[in-house]
Amino acid sequence: MNTTANVYASASPASLFNRIIQNHSPIVIVLVALFLAVFLYGMVTAPNFLTLFNLKTIVRDAALVGIMAIGLTFVTLSGNFFLLSMKETAALSIIAFATAMSAGYGFELSFLFTMLIALAAGVLQGALIGLGGNPIVVTLGAAGLFFGVASWWSENLVVSFRRPHGAEWLGSGSLFGLPNITIAFILISITAEIVLRYSTFGRQVYLIGANRAAGKATGHENFSMAIKTCAIASICSAFVAIAFSAQVSSAHVNYFSSEFGSSGDMTILVIATVMVGGNSIMGGFGSTLRSSLGAVFISTVDNMMVLHGFNSGPRVLAVGLMIVFSIIVFALVRRGSRAQE
Amino acid sequence: MQPLLKLSSVSRSFGAIHALRGVDFEIGPGEVMGLVGENGAGKSTLVKVISGFDDGYTGEFLLDGNPIRFSNPGKAEQAGIAIAQQELSLIPTMSVAENIFLAGHNVPTFATKRDLARKARKYLDEVGLGDIYPATGVDRLSVGERHLVEVARLIAHDPRVLILDEPTAALGESDSIRILEMVARLAERGKSIIYVSHRMDEIFKITDRITVLRDGESQEPKKASELDVNSLVELMLGRELKNMFPERPAVIERPKPLVGVKDLWPDGLLEPVSFDIYPGEILGLAGQLGSGSGEILAAIGGAQRTRDGKLAYQGREFLPANPQEAIANGIGYCSEDRKHDGLFLGRPIRENLTSPALGAVSSFGWMSRLAERTMARGIATKYTIDVSRLGAEAGVLSGGNQQKVALGKWLSIEPKIILVNEPTRGVDVGARAEIYRKLRDLADDGAAIVVASTDIQEISNLPDRVITFYRGMQIGEIGLNDMTAAAILKQITDPFDETNL
Repeated sequence: MNTTANVYASASPASLFNRIIQNHSPIVIVLVALFLAVFLYGMVTAPNFLTLFNLKTIVRDAALVGIMAIGLTFVTLSGNFFLLSMKETAALSIIAFATAMSAGYGFELSFLFTMLIALAAGVLQGALIGLGGNPIVVTLGAAGLFFGVASWWSENLVVSFRRPHGAEWLGSGSLFGLPNITIAFILISITAEIVLRYSTFGRQVYLIGANRAAGKATGHENFSMAIKTCAIASICSAFVAIAFSAQVSSAHVNYFSSEFGSSGDMTILVIATVMVGGNSIMGGFGSTLRSSLGAVFISTVDNMMVLHGFNSGPRVLAVGLMIVFSIIVFALVRRGSRAQE
Repeated sequence: MQPLLKLSSVSRSFGAIHALRGVDFEIGPGEVMGLVGENGAGKSTLVKVISGFDDGYTGEFLLDGNPIRFSNPGKAEQAGIAIAQQELSLIPTMSVAENIFLAGHNVPTFATKRDLARKARKYLDEVGLGDIYPATGVDRLSVGERHLVEVARLIAHDPRVLILDEPTAALGESDSIRILEMVARLAERGKSIIYVSHRMDEIFKITDRITVLRDGESQEPKKASELDVNSLVELMLGRELKNMFPERPAVIERPKPLVGVKDLWPDGLLEPVSFDIYPGEILGLAGQLGSGSGEILAAIGGAQRTRDGKLAYQGREFLPANPQEAIANGIGYCSEDRKHDGLFLGRPIRENLTSPALGAVSSFGWMSRLAERTMARGIATKYTIDVSRLGAEAGVLSGGNQQKVALGKWLSIEPKIILVNEPTRGVDVGARAEIYRKLRDLADDGAAIVVASTDIQEISNLPDRVITFYRGMQIGEIGLNDMTAAAILKQITDPFDETNL
């Protein structure tokens, strides 16, 4: 993949086309062409799609899912699969934040308090996974735990805090015409990508993800890696929870289950985003940038379908199709590579 | 007497490698034919041809005097040729009886567990497992018993030729004896058995004739009674490959050991071992599969559970708890399986080469592109890895070049000790010589190299000193002057004179 990417970078448009024809199987080309055709058709025919306002909306819609997906990407790239507790971590965090805000602790203290809880949640899951626990089992268990604690704590009620409050700038503020949450999404995307590419930690993520046994043999233990990546994912969840709560000045444990996004389930949507970006489920290949773009992509398709007047059923279906589609295409593209061996 | 099975001038090539070159092989009814040869001599290729796993050969294959060619293992099985491989094909969660009737023409359509158990009894008796209840789960049997169940499964199809591919390689003494008894019993009942083994004592105990393979060529089969261990070894090894191995220094100064291994007792060994490792030498640990030599390397490298033991090293006594600690102390360990834990196949070669030493190519947690490239290029140049391909995935390299990367990555930590298990497994002849040369260079630079190998040619020609192991026990030490393949082979196959010759 690396080598082909380098080849593309140095090619002129005409030879680029030739190389695509040569390097990829006909199935891939047909699939991608078909998809592009549908996509372009939808884009051109959707009313008001190509307006600056709508494009900003798309990125803004992508932001919350995107930030969580960036966090989860670290876990996936390091070969620790997925956290199935993303939305429950967010639920716990949003209750923690709103409770602290409504108790009058102010934004900074509430933020810190929430982040510490999320950090603990991430470290707990990471340690169990790092000790050899199956990520699915561990994070399913953790999901129940976090959700249970959050419901109990909030007594299943909406926790609200009054405007004006110190978190408004994050929820509904904007800078140079861009919502602050969009700016946060862009900054987090860039930072995450830089860390992955240029830090030793990032290198370790890729090495351990590519081959955990070889990682251990060269002195890179998955124990600390699992803790670090799960902590990053949890903190990203908490950040999204805080931003969402700041926007609606309230919190409820079900905010990320039933009333969020087109698919209704934040965890599934986040995992879908990571996969649509073409990150390897087995780890060792991919990037957070792919997840960011995946989020924007899903949000674009969703937006287009809303403009065309589809209701939520077909839109959920579309997300599902996109996952299947991207898995097939990326698997075919990478067939020549040995990365999955 | 007409041979039951006869192969004449069978050849098989994989690209440029000639695995078999005009091999002749035959076995008569009721005969036990030993098949011996070094690693890479072509034993497994020949076995695959006979059992139908490989039909890409040229040459003649006669069964009962009629020419035949098996396109797949199922055809061979129908013709009465069954093979018990080193890796068992039993399903551990099912019972013994269920495994015996897992597949084949004799599987009853409907059967209660009791029916199956009754039917399985007969075959279990035949292989000497009369004391095992057929409803027992396979996962509760010992490894040796599993081998016997595997054979029982094959016998249930009433084969005429039974191939046993190193059945005792992973077994202890008592289990091995059961296998040998079974072979004798089956031969008595008229089955032909091809017995592939590295163990000299067994070969002489149970075979009628022995066919020796060497570099893909077969020798005339000899009666076991006409051979002894020495003449058989000579047949196996032939002439020494002179240019393959770097010259060994006549004398190595050994003023003070670099490492004292003290009462090291890794899992898999019968008793603790102690020995010294000197700087500037290549120390060989010789032993067959299951001898424990590989476990010792892994234990020193922090990659193996260890009951007890310490390293006296750099003025301290300790044992690395994990590879991380070993690396911090300048110890690099290459396991025998580079694809499992020696390489990051999907990552660029450059990243592979610097992977143990990220600290040396970064500052304050950020990778230095320049430092990394310089280091990778330096190692690649030394190890004749194509410098222009450092950005390519390690997985695209050939076996020999992969091994060079797996080994070369340890240069990045400027190691004091390099431990290599099976340095040339799956490596072609040309790259082999290169790898031996690199190991010698490292030793000349003052590092201590410890090599564990089951390849007798390698272990008798590469090291300056050899310590021998047999079934989890440390047997002896052989210096440069006494280092012959025969001497080593004797100690690693039959140290207690158990062969009745």
